[in-house]
Amino acid sequence: MKGKLEPAERQKLIEEGKNLKEALTTLEEDLVKLRDELQIEAQCIPNLTHPDVPIGWEDSSKLRNMVGSPRKFDFPVKDHLQLGKELDLFDFDAAAEVSGSKFYYLKNEAVMLEMALVNWTLTEVMKRGFTPLTTPEIVRSSVVEKCGFQPRGENTQVYSIEDSDQCLIGTAEIPVGGIHMDSIVAESALPLKYVAFSHCFRTEAGAAGTATRGLYRVHQFSKVEMFILCRQEESDMYHEELIKIEEDLFSSLGLHFKILDMATGDLGAPAYRKFDVEAWMPGLERYGEISSASNCTDYQSRRLGIRYRPSESPSTTSKKGKTNVAATKIVHTLNATACAVPRMLVCLLENFQQEDGSVSIPHPLRPFTGGVEAIYPKSR
Amino acid sequence: MALQCRLSGATFQSLKLATIPISSSSSRFIFRTLPKTLNLALFSRHSAPKAPPFSVLIRNLSAPAVAAAPAAETSDIKVVKPQWNAAIDFKWIRDNKEAVAVNIKNRNSNANLELVLQLYDKMLNLQKEVERLRGERNNVANKMKGKLEPSERQKLIEEGKNLKEALTTLEEDLVKLRDELQIEAQCIPNLTHPDVPIGWEDSSKLRNMVGSPRKFDFPIKDHLQIGKELDLFDFDAAAEVSGSKFYYLKNEAVMLEMALVNWTLTEVMKRGFTPLTTPEIVRSSVVEKCGFQPRGENTQVYSIEDSDQCLIGTAEIPVGGIHMDSIVAESALPLKYVAFSHCFRTEAGAAGTATRGLYRVHQFSKVEMFILCRQEESDMYHEELIKIEEDLFSSLGLHFKILDMATGDLGAPAYRKFDVEAWMPGLERYGEISSASNCTDYQSRRLGIRYRPSESPSTTSKKGKTNLAATKFVHTLNATACAIPRMLVCLLENFQQEDGSVIIPHPLRPFMGGVEAIYPKSR
Repeated sequence: MKGKLEPAERQKLIEEGKNLKEALTTLEEDLVKLRDELQIEAQCIPNLTHPDVPIGWEDSSKLRNMVGSPRKFDFPVKDHLQLGKELDLFDFDAAAEVSGSKFYYLKNEAVMLEMALVNWTLTEVMKRGFTPLTTPEIVRSSVVEKCGFQPRGENTQVYSIEDSDQCLIGTAEIPVGGIHMDSIVAESALPLKYVAFSHCFRTEAGAAGTATRGLYRVHQFSKVEMFILCRQEESDMYHEELIKIEEDLFSSLGLHFKILDMATGDLGAPAYRKFDVEAWMPGLERYGEISSASNCTDYQSRRLGIRYRPSESPSTTSKKGKTNVAATKIVHTLNATACAVPRMLVCLLENFQQEDGSVSIPHPLRPFTGGVEAIYPKSR
Repeated sequence: MALQCRLSGATFQSLKLATIPISSSSSRFIFRTLPKTLNLALFSRHSAPKAPPFSVLIRNLSAPAVAAAPAAETSDIKVVKPQWNAAIDFKWIRDNKEAVAVNIKNRNSNANLELVLQLYDKMLNLQKEVERLRGERNNVANKMKGKLEPSERQKLIEEGKNLKEALTTLEEDLVKLRDELQIEAQCIPNLTHPDVPIGWEDSSKLRNMVGSPRKFDFPIKDHLQIGKELDLFDFDAAAEVSGSKFYYLKNEAVMLEMALVNWTLTEVMKRGFTPLTTPEIVRSSVVEKCGFQPRGENTQVYSIEDSDQCLIGTAEIPVGGIHMDSIVAESALPLKYVAFSHCFRTEAGAAGTATRGLYRVHQFSKVEMFILCRQEESDMYHEELIKIEEDLFSSLGLHFKILDMATGDLGAPAYRKFDVEAWMPGLERYGEISSASNCTDYQSRRLGIRYRPSESPSTTSKKGKTNLAATKFVHTLNATACAIPRMLVCLLENFQQEDGSVIIPHPLRPFMGGVEAIYPKSR
């Protein structure tokens, strides 16, 4: 239409232009909607799976390693609830009135034991080069989703705050994952290794049964969590490092446990591979999960937008004098429980109970309890 | 008739608490919006807005926890049944109305004493009338048992029916009256200790000053700058992940927080307090019974969606709830607890430079002391609590002053309140780090915590029963042993060195693995 035209010609072109514009607007709207729909559907696709992961459900999970063996008791064994009652260590009844079921107060030596567990765990993991953190426990729900959780699904595990887009965290993995979101880190900064202490909140919607008695399944608990961001080629290696740290921690405490390579049906969408640690709980007469180490490869980082710029030497400058910068890559993220306090309390109380009703405190924790060696029944 | 429990009108400049008007929920009684443990920005209500009329309040109710009684058509006001009742001594209020009136005025509370007294009188009269009618109805019933002429019987039946209808109406009115009286009376603030100065923040009296401001011979930094240079916190990442006034603690700051909590718990336990950790999600009714208002406008309280639960702003709440609705043995008193918890506050309405960095945040760790005791002993335990705080803060080498807060700054539950303000050189002013309140029976009347005096039983009566002594309400007290963020501000700003490092106070070093200072990291 920029050239010289007959009026009739010009008019025809104007018509054609108008039609094209309308058609384009409609198509562009359709494209946006299609992209959104594609995005929603595609985000449902779970992470890939490590080739060694067994295929199937819980029964198919493979035993990687077993440490220790169940202690033989020559007296009747009590469960943690009974021990807690006799040693005045927790109160579930008052908490049920004040807050609801699955809440609790810790009392007396249990408080010192929680602090000792957290302190000792942080210290041990820091020795291995992890940066200690405490985190916000209220986060935007978008961050929760980007980590692979679903805040507002039916039977969600996530508590939401009224009149806001915020939620309570169920694990420090979420606020730690969010630290570097929407950013590019230098390759030289990797790996970034964090150990974070936080309280965690879970609705436990849908959970029921005897396995939820006492401290085994609660709405609020303290947890020390390890989180690593690393280069793509190294995530398998760091997964091994994380599970090794867990193995060291739990062995030091004298626990008997097994490490499982979880089967595909039990991975959850973000995990490429997941190792669970199940410790022997003599009062419950079974193994119970005390820890989990997951390699999420790029599932979370694609959502959180965390990239790194490989530090390659610049290629020869182009004609315009610019150096070529290497294309960014997506980091891999991993997370692993260093210490989930309530289940650890179950393990310690049930495994180290004595015939006289006392509970021995594992040696590594004693410097952190002010030297206290055992919890004794109180004279009444 | 509007519910008027308005602001005790503190000025905008004073970062203190005030009661706020009832807004959306009539059954959420007016209490101060925040605990005395931290200084909070006041809502600028020079002229407090009038609370909406009662009927409007009912319409605005959305909280599922409120059990709305069926509205009675006979009254022009729809009374919503309170979810719980404080055990208020109406007779005592009536018999001491002058003192109560003076107290309400001194605290600048807008509790409506006249209305309470009127409602109480009305209620007493209505009760008498109800009893009279009941008596008459019984008479009629008795008469009907004898032999009667059919016409006589018919008359009695009519009379009985009329009495029954009248009685039903009166009894409904009585229930509504009781509810209204309860709601109005619960607005009345606690009494005041005779030594408390009358007035506003400027009238608060200095009890004691410990130490003096440190003299620096180099330019000093505020905690934010120190934290940045020593890589101790991250507010920026937290703003993205959670919002403003959230933060991550990093590196030595994490160990310092743990050391502070550990040391504080240990020190307070030595003084006979039972250590606790508490739920941080509680039922909103417990929040109210402690004297807070979860659902008021500008509330400090976070609520959980689709539930009657809230996040605690202080461990005072879950600890206060431990013994609710129970009778403790006198021999069990005093009950002394030291509780560690995370605390969550919306800080709605707070603004200004005094809210930079760690000074005002939405989430923080706190160690709180809580005492339940016999009535005669609460003054003594108040002194004990403030003494413990003085010892703790002196041990850390802080310079601070202790204030006896004036009536306008007390907030509804406190009979007397001591605030500790520590010198923060980076902020160039004193900032509140702690608060110790004696709530006498204000909370316990709402939480329903009583004790049975252990008197020797009197001689048994004919039926062989011993007479039990009447129960009394406990007195409750609470005091901040350690509020981490403000303690971090104090430690970082006061103990900074010229080379950029920060010295760790001696008492904390054993709890940090012997670390003596935080040094700048080589980069």
